[in-house]
Amino acid sequence: MRSTSAATFCLLTSLFCFVASAFGLPIYRDSLPNGLVVLTYEDHHLPAVSMTLVCRSGGACDPKGLGGAAAMMADLLTRGTATMSGDSVKSVVEFLGARFAGVVEDDYSGVELKALSKDLGTALDLLSDAVLNPAFDSQQIELQRDRMLARVRRYSDIPLVEVQVEFMKLAYGDHPYGHMTEGDTASLPRIGRENLVEFYRTYFRPNNCFLVAAGDLDHDDLAAAVQKRLSAWTPAPVPVLTAAPLTAPERIRARVITRSDLNQTYVEFGHPGISATDPDLLPVRLMSYILGGTAMSSRLGVDVRVKGGLAYDVRCYFERERLPSMFKATVQTAQPKEAITLMLRDIETMHDSGVTKRELLDAQNYYTGSFPLGYASLDGKLGQLRTMELYGYGMDWLVKFPDKVRAVTLDEVNKAARDRLNPGRYWMVVIGPVTKEDLGLTDVDWVE
Amino acid sequence: MKLQSELSGLGRFALSLLACLGAAVAATSTDIQSRVHEYDLKNGLHVIVYVDSSTPVVTTSVWYKVGSYDEPTGSTGLSHMLEHMSYKRTDVYGPGDFQRLVNSAGGNMNGFTTKYYTGYFEDFASDRYELAMKLEAARMGTCVFPDSEFESEHGVVSEERRIHDNFPATQFREQFEATALLASPQRNPTIGWSDDVRSFTVRAVRDWYKERYNPANAALVVAGDVRPEDVRAKAEKYFGKLRGRPVERRDFYNSEPEQKGERRLTVTGRTSLPSMAFAYRVPGIRDSAWYAGVVAASILGDGETSWLFRKLVIELGLATGVSVYASVERDPGLFEISVTPKAESLIPRIEQVVQAEVERAGKELASEREMQSVRNKVLADVTFARDYTFGMAYWLATSYILFGDWRQVIEYPEHVGRVTAEQVRDYCGTYLKPDNRTTGILLPMKEEK
Repeated sequence: MRSTSAATFCLLTSLFCFVASAFGLPIYRDSLPNGLVVLTYEDHHLPAVSMTLVCRSGGACDPKGLGGAAAMMADLLTRGTATMSGDSVKSVVEFLGARFAGVVEDDYSGVELKALSKDLGTALDLLSDAVLNPAFDSQQIELQRDRMLARVRRYSDIPLVEVQVEFMKLAYGDHPYGHMTEGDTASLPRIGRENLVEFYRTYFRPNNCFLVAAGDLDHDDLAAAVQKRLSAWTPAPVPVLTAAPLTAPERIRARVITRSDLNQTYVEFGHPGISATDPDLLPVRLMSYILGGTAMSSRLGVDVRVKGGLAYDVRCYFERERLPSMFKATVQTAQPKEAITLMLRDIETMHDSGVTKRELLDAQNYYTGSFPLGYASLDGKLGQLRTMELYGYGMDWLVKFPDKVRAVTLDEVNKAARDRLNPGRYWMVVIGPVTKEDLGLTDVDWVE
Repeated sequence: MKLQSELSGLGRFALSLLACLGAAVAATSTDIQSRVHEYDLKNGLHVIVYVDSSTPVVTTSVWYKVGSYDEPTGSTGLSHMLEHMSYKRTDVYGPGDFQRLVNSAGGNMNGFTTKYYTGYFEDFASDRYELAMKLEAARMGTCVFPDSEFESEHGVVSEERRIHDNFPATQFREQFEATALLASPQRNPTIGWSDDVRSFTVRAVRDWYKERYNPANAALVVAGDVRPEDVRAKAEKYFGKLRGRPVERRDFYNSEPEQKGERRLTVTGRTSLPSMAFAYRVPGIRDSAWYAGVVAASILGDGETSWLFRKLVIELGLATGVSVYASVERDPGLFEISVTPKAESLIPRIEQVVQAEVERAGKELASEREMQSVRNKVLADVTFARDYTFGMAYWLATSYILFGDWRQVIEYPEHVGRVTAEQVRDYCGTYLKPDNRTTGILLPMKEEK
């Protein structure tokens, strides 16, 4: 049923809309009549299959004040159906030695299932029943709410996480990415069964979902099995996520949370970044990698860690999400003034002077050379296919990515540094045994 | 519906699975054996090669038989400090070179220190793993530790220690292990106690390197898309010229005094949620009873159908999470139960329930379905673990270092498969007793008014 000719999309009648293989890689894509896309990477080296039913709406679609709704909904899909209790589902899954869990990020939610390939039929039965007939059982909701509350409380014990949460509060405002996808102690108790059902009915539609699978499977067999099980799943219009773009403050807008019980200071700062589909994505990522992509060989790593001995970990990155998101830099240090000074200086230097040819070549070599490492395992393949489909990179992405990276020029990277870094216009959160006077920052709006 | 008919036939399915399982384990075993090549270089470097050409990727890793287990009193964390310093300077490489060279060749790398071993690895596309051999041979034979480069890295390690200091769960963990074990070096945190970390000297690092880092105290494990003869040639070329010196590793098998009753520990910290931990003194991996402990841990606490999860979380609603773990220690170790209570007030009740359930485990037999579920999980886990070249390298290396033979990789499912319900019951009845237990509680610090 699938095309084996490279770069060919065949229009088929009846069962599937179109089928394609991807440029020599055993990647295949079908679209079922109800809009559900089935995307697979055949890899028979182990008798195992890993798959995720991805809904293109995630934590960013949580209703206002109900952060964690998408996460809870996704987990509840694995906790019982109209004909099978949550305990029965867990019993079957654990007996098979399989893994079946909800997943959520800002841009997607869903359920993932990993099983031995001999159990693929049972796994698909479980998955399709979960997608079509979730029970949202009240007892299971309370069980999951308790577990999620415990998890977010535990997060609050970790200053590394606390600084991220506080940065979110300071920088994002009402933006859809401005809350933890896991929710918080205020939002989780407010989520009712009706909210979960509403999220599911609104977003969990076949035309807003895709099934991605990698491993010991045959694409045609899997697509047919999915079609057989999920043909009753009905499509419906799905709201499009929009948001006003984030706007950088005119100068540093910082909050210091003094914690005398800590012996180290946790710093996160940043400004608006780019989207996953920005045409400058590759130049920006190469520049960001050179600036702070590694702890020991990036500019930040060399100055703050290797030479300065100021921190175990220092880094910066542009988040890759559907909506334009954030550029962030982080460090944990007992000498925040020195570390922040170096980081601000390095970012400004990057903005003003860009990168060298040698740095760009090294970064290109890293991106092209390490790309196969990212899809060596089944989970890696799954992740790459998910990204490819989620952001519409196209079936040729895996094959063409190295050439696209190599084609990026020094001018493009330096332009990305000038256009996409915004020195001095950061939101910044500092948590530790310090006051604002200790940081030596000037030209700052302090937030109490 | 199809699903219903399949599930109602679960019993039949289980029986057929039973029949398949033995064959599946045997097939996996044969397949792995056919892929492994093992030999020693003349200098004593042990080499294990695992061939898997399914993806053009190679993990090259070197494992030293040194960790916090070997460190003398007052020098805890020294192996970890050495791990950091080993990235600084060799005969030809300088600070930052390891990462720069690896990354610019499209590779990823890391290092880590544990109680029993220190490991370094590089992942590369299979046409360039020679660089990893070159770098790791330099690390093994030619590290130099200039005074001038010590201070900054000492600062880095001190910052890493501070990350541990500021996480209440880690603080609790460190104090709990040091209470459950009195004399064994297993009680020490791998990163080292704070005062020891502050006191490191570059001279101590140099001495530790001279004493422990050499081919005869290490294993080279290469996994992925390689030709065994090519690995051998490269191993000879880069590592063969290094001098090996056998290192005597002190064995602390009998170091722990007999436990004379329950030990209790309460730690307070800036946490919003209490935690509970129970540790029972049990046989380590050199005792065949350890496998019964692995099965007992799975039945008691692995997953939502396990005994303790069902009782504490689902039936009684006292806790939000449970985990149970039979530690992988060469010496007698710990069988640990961790519980996240819903509220501090429930702690006494949880203690009672945990004890009642482990006592029940010492009297009642697990069902055949439960035993089969454990076997299935092990088979699935073994299969999933083979999906990563690093995972395979890690598994082979730790089997060699901890169990003395990489074949533990294939023997593990067989050993677990042979454990009987009676052995699990007897294990629980023998070891999971209150007077053989350490109970630890992490409580939220009361705010001063």
